Amino acid sequence: MALPREVYEALEAIVGPDNITEEPATLDSYAYQWMAELVTDVSGGGKFFDRAEAVLMPGSAEDVQNIIKTCNRNNLPYHAFSTGWGPWAASPAKGQILMDLRRMNRIIEIDEQNMFAVVEPYCVAAQLQSEVMKKGLNNHISGAGAGTSVLANACCFQGGGPDVIYFASPQDSILSIEWVTPEGNILTTGSKGSDLGWFCAEGPGPSTQGVIRGALGGAGGWGVVTKIAIRLVHWPGPKQIPVEGTAPAYRTRLSPDYFKAAFLAFPSFQAFADAIYRIYDSEIGYIVHRQFVMWGDELQAAFLNIVTDPTKQLCDLEELLKKPEIQKLTEEMQRSFQMILAGMTPRDLAYQRKVLAEILKTTDGWNIDFVDREDIQQYVLLFMLRLCFKSVNFAATGGFIDSYNSVATPDVWASGEIEAGKKLLKKYAGRIADAGDQAMGPIGGQGGGGCTGWEDFVFYDPADPDSAQAATEVSDEGDVLKAKQGRPPGGMLLGLARATHSDVNVRSKKLSKSPEYRWQRRIKEVLDPGSVGSGNYFWGAEPEKE
Amino acid sequence: MALEDLRAMVSRCSRCSYCKWIPLAHVKSWRFAKGCPSVEYNKFQSYSASGRLCASLSLLDGRSSYFDEGLVDIVFKCMLDGSCDVACKVNRYDLEPVEVMRQLRFKMIDNGCFPFQDLPYIEHLRKEDNMMLEEKADRGKWAEGLEVKDLTQEKAEVAFHAGCRLSFDQDLWEIPRTVVKILKDAGVDFGILGKDENCCGTRVSDMGYRGEFLKYAENNIDAWTNAGVKTVVTACSDGYHGLKRLYPEEFDFKFEVLHITQFIERLIQEGKIKFTREVPMTVTYHDPCHLGRRGEAHVPWKGEQKKIRGQILVYEPRKPRYNGVQGIYDTPRNIIKSIPGIKLVEMERNREYAWCCGAGAGVRERYPEFSAWTAGERIEEANATGAEAIVSACPHCERNFIDAVNERGERMKVYDILDLVREAI
Repeated sequence: MALPREVYEALEAIVGPDNITEEPATLDSYAYQWMAELVTDVSGGGKFFDRAEAVLMPGSAEDVQNIIKTCNRNNLPYHAFSTGWGPWAASPAKGQILMDLRRMNRIIEIDEQNMFAVVEPYCVAAQLQSEVMKKGLNNHISGAGAGTSVLANACCFQGGGPDVIYFASPQDSILSIEWVTPEGNILTTGSKGSDLGWFCAEGPGPSTQGVIRGALGGAGGWGVVTKIAIRLVHWPGPKQIPVEGTAPAYRTRLSPDYFKAAFLAFPSFQAFADAIYRIYDSEIGYIVHRQFVMWGDELQAAFLNIVTDPTKQLCDLEELLKKPEIQKLTEEMQRSFQMILAGMTPRDLAYQRKVLAEILKTTDGWNIDFVDREDIQQYVLLFMLRLCFKSVNFAATGGFIDSYNSVATPDVWASGEIEAGKKLLKKYAGRIADAGDQAMGPIGGQGGGGCTGWEDFVFYDPADPDSAQAATEVSDEGDVLKAKQGRPPGGMLLGLARATHSDVNVRSKKLSKSPEYRWQRRIKEVLDPGSVGSGNYFWGAEPEKE
Repeated sequence: MALEDLRAMVSRCSRCSYCKWIPLAHVKSWRFAKGCPSVEYNKFQSYSASGRLCASLSLLDGRSSYFDEGLVDIVFKCMLDGSCDVACKVNRYDLEPVEVMRQLRFKMIDNGCFPFQDLPYIEHLRKEDNMMLEEKADRGKWAEGLEVKDLTQEKAEVAFHAGCRLSFDQDLWEIPRTVVKILKDAGVDFGILGKDENCCGTRVSDMGYRGEFLKYAENNIDAWTNAGVKTVVTACSDGYHGLKRLYPEEFDFKFEVLHITQFIERLIQEGKIKFTREVPMTVTYHDPCHLGRRGEAHVPWKGEQKKIRGQILVYEPRKPRYNGVQGIYDTPRNIIKSIPGIKLVEMERNREYAWCCGAGAGVRERYPEFSAWTAGERIEEANATGAEAIVSACPHCERNFIDAVNERGERMKVYDILDLVREAI
């Protein structure tokens, strides 16, 4: 159903005729999303979620404000997004409009002395990083990678990633923000709210960090954040990370006096967990992540050989797996994770290396020699420091979701959970990729460590209905298994995909029982009484139905 | 290959948006991080490679119509410069964005849907064998007085294919004339087709008119065969891409194909060209899309996609991987660096992730404002290097840059690499 002409014209008057469209193929280019084929009650198993009625591109907070006021006047639901990767960026239901924020893409300010940057929604992590590194600083990059929005990762999602152990989680790094509320008021919070600069979240202006952020992020449900000040950290490397090599084996040559990539391996998952606790306690490490196991513990060694050699392709996988050196590396990497040490001085790095050596000694762990090969060291440093290769998650089959494991403390991994996740994936092997343990994610789920945040990847073929169905089954079965243990579901991605698009009752069954969803719902009811802000996973069934 | 055959491929796009940026590892600044001119200028998702893959699926699923208002603009307002292809394939082995976009264009035109702006150019092409809106009889004028073999009358080992832009754009005539001098001085047995030369068909193929491309390719192959030609040399990057990649895809094409820069580098290595005069200047080199990332040679392949380890997608046998890295990048740089006095500085976006000049795939003719904006972006990037001149190896790039520089009142000089060679000899 098309928008009433007077509403369309009112919106067009705000953004201009070049920045609004109802063209069907364009609307479908926004309805097409990763995982749509899994939310079959909306997509019918195809690649499209519901089509928005129109897509608009506001160019300023004032444009956003005027759009939201127009939506409130006309009871027209809106949904905003930044870089738009994932089902949560598509229109949550029929009869809504989308705000694509790509025109708001600037870095407003980099405050070198106070170590923060102010950005708009469509500034991506790679852009900000390239600029702040020139000033000896660095920014958090979410697990979704360098091509995603700094602002959205901080305000709208959990936004964690490999560097959180050092950089802190993005929600802990939010300073002042500029926020267009669900009723169309522009509120500038924190110190900026008193016109004292962007440096502080909590005042001397109004503090809304807990509201805007919530436990899971607002995802646009309570208005649109149009500027954010985000905390930065020290960067001891060059002003520009040098890149050499041939795709996909791009790599960087950084000074070994300041940087070291390590693959830490252990004889058991108990030792693996012990080492993680000791890393938390010793406060070493710049980036600590279980990264390459995303390809599966049985395939990660072979995959690493493929992506670091431009002459190789996936068709080389089977032959590589037969090679004794790959088999040895596969065995070594089974209980391993990746760590990037960055020293602020050579002495600092030497200290961290010494501490790490001690941790390995006390846990019977070791650094796998393979990572010390020059080209591998350089590839891993580039991969982890820039998180610039995250589309590789889709290289094997074209699609992935997560299934079993989720946020947990390291002792959970010593209790058989990794094996349990692997067993579940093996049960579906064939209909999904047969790769083994795929429990990947940050070793530090919060600043300083404290927990891990892992996902058991499931590689499925989105063009193959049976494979997509198997991905859904494995994720659902994982949730059931976790529920029996009294733990939250592990299949976060599929859960979010369903929750952002499915019927309200489906949402409430899937996700809204947790206390944080209830609290977020309460906030939503107060801030958005007309409920024109984006429908979202926390905005589920009525309370009495929960 | 038809659009219908690519349904599974387009369903596997993750919509990660890597196609909009240069490979993220190479991002050096906020300003020059973008890779795709089309989505940068037109903004909506549908103007990205990913968006066009989605649009393809929308059409194949019958969700939208070939005749929907606005679809022509989405499909054709793009230079097919291939930046998206390079960025996508850094990590993907199973997607071919440019191939999908080409097939989408073919399909649109099969359905009678094309930009109305094409009409005068296509009609002129059919009548006068060029899209420069010039008379065929004038095609060989650039070579007047040069005493070059006429391949319609004589045989020669080497054909110099001047191409439409160099044949008709008088401002650029010194370029083909320099080629002739270099070939003559090197003692090469070569000739030209002069007024009987045809369009190579590359541009019209990129515009979506496959039938016209096939016709011209066939005519050219016949003409060179009849003249006993073994090697075709061109100074046009569009032409190089067509001859190196598109012709062998469609025909049994036995000719060696060289871009003039390759020929010159060979002569330098053999000591047949010596640069004796200084050219004191700081220059930056613009990689033409069709010589760089789209300048990879066709590699024959017949095989199928299959699955291993359950669902992992592989090609059997190994499929040639066109990810831009085998394009011609070092050759022109080596020539420039061998000229005394010249200092070569790089733009942030270079080699396989260079920003396009804006002229390709008929965009200059169809969408002149977009084309000029794209060229202007590149000029700004060149300015940021401190260079006095931007040098390229494609007349289409040069014409677009010259116009952009003039329109913007810039001081940047625009040269073909042959201009520098001529100065230095």
